[in-house]
Amino acid sequence: MIAGRLRRGAVFGILCLVVVVMLFPFVYMAIVSFRSQDQFISGEGFSLDSWAALFDTLPVAQQLVNSMVVTVAAVVIILAVSSMAGYAFAKLRFPGSALIFILILAGMMIPVQSIIIPEFVNIAQVGLINQYPGAIAVYAALGTPLGTYLMTTYFRGVPTELVEASLVDGASYWQIFRKVMLPLAVPALVTIAVLQFIQIWDDLLIGLLFLQTPEVRTITVGVATLQSARVIPIPLVIAGSLVSAMPAVVVYLAFQRQLISGLTLGMGK
Amino acid sequence: MSDMAAVRPANPGARRAVPKNTGRLRRAEQRAGLLFVLPVVVVYTVLLALPIAQTFWYSLTEWNGITSTFLGLDNYRRLFNDPTFWRVVLNNVMLLAAIPFAILIPLLVAFLLNQKVYGWRFFRSVYFLPTAISWVVIGIVAARLFAARGFLNGLFAALGLDIRTDMLASEYTAMLAVIITFIWSVFGTNTIIFITGMATLDRDVYEAARVDGAGAWQVFRYLTIPLLTRFIQFAFILTLITGFTALFSLIFVMTTGGPGFGTTTLEFYVYQTAFANGAFGYAAAIGVVLFAIVFTISIIQLRLLRGRGE
Repeated sequence: MIAGRLRRGAVFGILCLVVVVMLFPFVYMAIVSFRSQDQFISGEGFSLDSWAALFDTLPVAQQLVNSMVVTVAAVVIILAVSSMAGYAFAKLRFPGSALIFILILAGMMIPVQSIIIPEFVNIAQVGLINQYPGAIAVYAALGTPLGTYLMTTYFRGVPTELVEASLVDGASYWQIFRKVMLPLAVPALVTIAVLQFIQIWDDLLIGLLFLQTPEVRTITVGVATLQSARVIPIPLVIAGSLVSAMPAVVVYLAFQRQLISGLTLGMGK
Repeated sequence: MSDMAAVRPANPGARRAVPKNTGRLRRAEQRAGLLFVLPVVVVYTVLLALPIAQTFWYSLTEWNGITSTFLGLDNYRRLFNDPTFWRVVLNNVMLLAAIPFAILIPLLVAFLLNQKVYGWRFFRSVYFLPTAISWVVIGIVAARLFAARGFLNGLFAALGLDIRTDMLASEYTAMLAVIITFIWSVFGTNTIIFITGMATLDRDVYEAARVDGAGAWQVFRYLTIPLLTRFIQFAFILTLITGFTALFSLIFVMTTGGPGFGTTTLEFYVYQTAFANGAFGYAAAIGVVLFAIVFTISIIQLRLLRGRGE
């Protein structure tokens, strides 16, 4: 009995130690952001200097808006496109269905870096560099294959009788999609939205290439460029990091369960 | 592509919405199906299929983004004879070598967490938190921790150790710093995968093992690990693909690929070659190599999952 309790205590202790390792960077960030450069070097005292300076160095509000516009627009497109496709693949019979589905699955295996050069050149050619729609289109395209796969898996679990019954009642395929299938798919849609929101909000590469000027940059890119400038005081960069991380963390805390179910959905189980 | 069909035999259109329809109704269904997949087909073709085809084509040319000259396989010949390329591949191999740690640590922690520990929900939330944090932010903090005047030296000093280190200043220690950060970042995701896996296991098997007098380590080694093979494979592949295709931002803010090519992985090399050196054709060839590697890994994953009655 005592041995069991000891072991339980040891397990608890180890898990707490892991908590320290996982949370330490966040505590470190919070502390450093409330120090001026001098206080950071001496390691003593706190002030709001770095936070004040952050808003002078980086157009924080503008870049947060940029991030929000780009992320939300891309997520909405991904949801619309994948739910329609998922419905068709799962419930409708049409020529080429299997082949198209497999090709889209294969799209999940393309690393961004392998398409980024022509993508950049193409988007530049149509004049969409430094414009929201260019970045939105690329983000939407990168998220669509996984979204389509997850929606197809989800809709396959919906009884086909529901579709048939509505057809008999004289509903069109579009009406069935809107009135029957979409309401049923809310949990899957939320999961995809959360996964993609975090993914796109946190991205650097696409933003770096497709939204280059400070006025259109996303906050994640803005903070990364602060860091790579190497002359900006560290506490200021850290304060910026905290701001950029906040929205995704809030989404994470609110939708943790959906995020976890998304991960296991991805296993095809 | 016929190979792909063999990998995924499930025909998504096989389930008929309306059996035994008249021709007119069936045509309506076909038309609806095609209209519903039209958006995904357009997005996919223009923004994914076209660029990957272009990458293949331009990898055979010298290309500056505007004009291109056909070279045949010259880029690939040059690439495979380029010591820098092999140095970069070595970095990918080092990432690969780190993956057992990125699997084993979460596996052990998930095993401990699965013992119905008090507050396990809290632990799970905290462990999974880095999933929400961008590589940019992780990289910024990690750079501070490992740098000359960083936290690590402070810790050594506080412990009374006479060690001064600047891990980011030399090639191999910098790669080690990137790898440690990488393991830290994927820890949560892998832990969740294993917790999910353990939840599917039969508790009776554990009870039986305990009754037979098996110790915790024996249970872990001879029960948990074999029963979780499928989940371990999934975590392995996911971690590998993350390491090979998602570390761009981390490397960009933490080390910018240096010192030298010390932390340049294949994906970072594509970016550097294209957007820092302007050699688009040569970079495309590196992109094709990366694609070939990731695609092969993914196919292996599909085969493994399918081989387990999936």
